[in-house]
Parts: sequence; C-alpha cells; structure tokens
Amino acid sequence: MNSNNLNHIASIPPISRLACPDCDLIQTIPPLADNEVAHCIRCGTTLFKQQKNSINRSLAFAITGLILFIISNLFPLLSLKAVGLTQESSLLSTAFALFDVNQLLLGIVILLTTFIFPATTLLGTIYILMQIKMNRINCYTAPLFRFLRSTDAWGMLEIFLLAILVAVVKLGDVADMIYGVSLYAFCLLILSLSLLSYSLNPQDVWNKLRDSNGCSG
Amino acid sequence: MTTARQAGLIACHFCHTLSKLPEGMEAKTQHELTLGKAIMHCPCCQSSLHSRIPHSLSRTWALLLAALILYFPANALPIMTVIYWGEGQPDTILGGVVHLFAEGMWPLALLIFIASVFIPILKLIALFSLLISVHLKMQWRPKDRTVLYRITEFVGRWSMVDIFVIALLVALVQFGNTASVLPNLGALSFAAVVILTMLAAHSFDPRLIWDAIDDENSIRNDESL
Repeated sequence: MNSNNLNHIASIPPISRLACPDCDLIQTIPPLADNEVAHCIRCGTTLFKQQKNSINRSLAFAITGLILFIISNLFPLLSLKAVGLTQESSLLSTAFALFDVNQLLLGIVILLTTFIFPATTLLGTIYILMQIKMNRINCYTAPLFRFLRSTDAWGMLEIFLLAILVAVVKLGDVADMIYGVSLYAFCLLILSLSLLSYSLNPQDVWNKLRDSNGCSG
Repeated sequence: MTTARQAGLIACHFCHTLSKLPEGMEAKTQHELTLGKAIMHCPCCQSSLHSRIPHSLSRTWALLLAALILYFPANALPIMTVIYWGEGQPDTILGGVVHLFAEGMWPLALLIFIASVFIPILKLIALFSLLISVHLKMQWRPKDRTVLYRITEFVGRWSMVDIFVIALLVALVQFGNTASVLPNLGALSFAAVVILTMLAAHSFDPRLIWDAIDDENSIRNDESL
C-alpha cells in the first residue's frame, strides 16, 4: 500500500462491495457466472459484467483496430469526380480542409474527435492490456487508464461513419463517387471498436490494477 | 439501504474503489473534499476523491446556459454555403432539413432532423429539468430521472454527425467556382452547443438526485426513534 501518498485512508473494504456510481448505494455483488451482469438494486445501473477472457479478447480487438486504423489513414476514404477533376478525402484531410478555409477551431474539433482521441484510445488500451498480461504494471498504468476512461466519449469515429453515409447519399446523384480501400478498412475498424468496447470490462481492469499494487515502493 | 456517504465511505469516481474517511469527522471531511479545501487520493488510481462531483450544479448550470445562448446563432446563422456555378447558397440547419425533404430524401432529412434539432433540444430540456428537480429536492421518480440522465449522456455525441457531414463536404467538394462548399459561423456555434451540452452532462452528478431521497429517509428515521 502506498501509504505516504494517501492522507488518512485506514483500510479498503473488500472489492465485491461497492457504491453505485449513479446513486451511491452500497451493495455487495455476489459471485457471478459467465456473461452475468450485476445491476444496482435501486437505480438499475450496470455495476459489473462477468466475462470470460475479457482481457485477451479486448487486446485482440484493440490490435485489430490499430491495424485497421493505420490502413484507414493510408488511403483516401472517398473520392469525388466532377468536371474532369478528382477530389480525395481521408480521415486527416477532412480536418486539414477546414484549416484551409480558416475554420481553425472546427478543424481542431474534427482532428481531436476523429484522429487524436481514437488513436490514443487504441494505443493506450493496447499498452495497458499488455502491461496487465506481462505483469508489468507500474505507477502510470492506473492514471493512464483513468485518462482513457475520461476521454472515451470524445472519440467519435462511429459518428463519422454515419456522416460518410449521409455525404454519400447527398452527393450520390450530383457527382461520381469512388469508394477507396480505406472505406472498407474503416467499416471494419468501427466493427472492431464496438467489439472492443463490448468486451472490455473497465471494472475487471481496475480490479487487476488494484490487486497488483503496481505503485508500491 | 446505506449509501457510501452515510457510511462514511467515499467511492472513487473512476475505479469505484471505496475508501474510508477519517473516523469521527466523516461529514466534515466530505464537505471539505467537495469544496476543494482538503485533498485525498484514491489508493488504486491516484485520482483526487470527492463524495460528489465538486460544484456539480453550478458547473452544469454555467455550461448549459452557455449552450442555450449559442443555440440561437447555431440555428439562425447559416452552417454552410454551397457555391454552384459561381452562385452561393447559404443554408441553415433547418433550411438544410427542408431542402432534403423537398428533394425527396426524407430518410436523410429525418436523420439530420433527429440528430441536429430534436436531440439538442431534448438534451437542453432534460438537463434543465434535472437541475431544477435537484434544486427543489424533488422526491418524484428518482429511478426514471436517473435513466433520463443516462440517455442524455449517451445520446448527446450523435449530434456531431451534422458537423462531420459539413467537414466531409468541405473536404470533398472543392472545384473552385464550379462547385464548392464553405463552412459558416453557424457550424462552429452548433459544434460548441454539442460540446458544451456534453460537458454539462458529464459535470452533472446523478447521485444528487438520490441525495434528496436519502436525506428525507434519514430525517424520517430520526423522528421515528
């Protein structure tokens, strides 16, 4: 236990006991069978998901996601052909197009939500899950995971996919659309990202980090 | 039925680890932690501990009012200009929806209407009523109000779809005077509305809904003793 950092924490009650994050009620979670979910008895919030091999599966989806993310960025997603000209757009060029027309703030929002946050989530998740698997948890693992949890809502690639569909329908009858290789990779990327968020069980990761006492020194 | 606050425990906002407060001065410490006068760190993830999100109500109010103010320019100003054969046609959010509808693309019109008009209004109303219900210490249907909060928090990010569509059109349709798309100030205001309401939802603490019920129950228990 890292006692010098904590002002006056006497003891930590057992892990199976927790306070509901939405209504603060203290509850004890009974041992769960596979694929069982514990809900708060008072407000119904999901408290814990029991999943077999959650860490391994999440790691697999995260690595798949990273590879697909790289492919999505290497080639254009969509190209538009009109008046003898072809205009290409990729993930990053969408943000840079806004910089070009002097919409700096809007460009930064797009850059953060479609590139920086998703990239951080993928790299960070892989790093943390590898550390857990290799038993190399250190002082920075828990704060890093905390950062990833708090930026989770700001990676918006699945919303970007919906926007691509809207743009395709809007432009479809005006000009010729060419779908790039990256678009297929991008669709698969969204699939693996949703599988990742389904299989990754944050409470499971926290329990591992808590047990390891990575920061004791 | 005891809450962490009543038991003199404090739950970490991130990893949910329960920590014990110093004995005999639980209430005082909890108050000081929430005001930022004392600092205690979670033994598991080192985040600073608070029994409730500090200044949750005033922060949510501030972000929500800012979002409400920006909601007007977001809808009144054009979000993008489509230049076609040298002539510019500025479009507002609602104008764009009407345009799509007139062209017979009603599924698309419906999607944009839900994401850009319906959800932002719903979010503003939901957060306002949640804030007011907490201020009035309402006992009414706490479970449903918690569900309302969770829906608001989950659904808000999908309003960004219109901003992404504009960005994609700007990136794709750049053929000089023949055809091009330029973003306008309305797009920036609308993005700000979405981001501010997302931040407002994050800073609202749903446990405040239940505090009114818990306080009432503890008063009732004291009286019956």
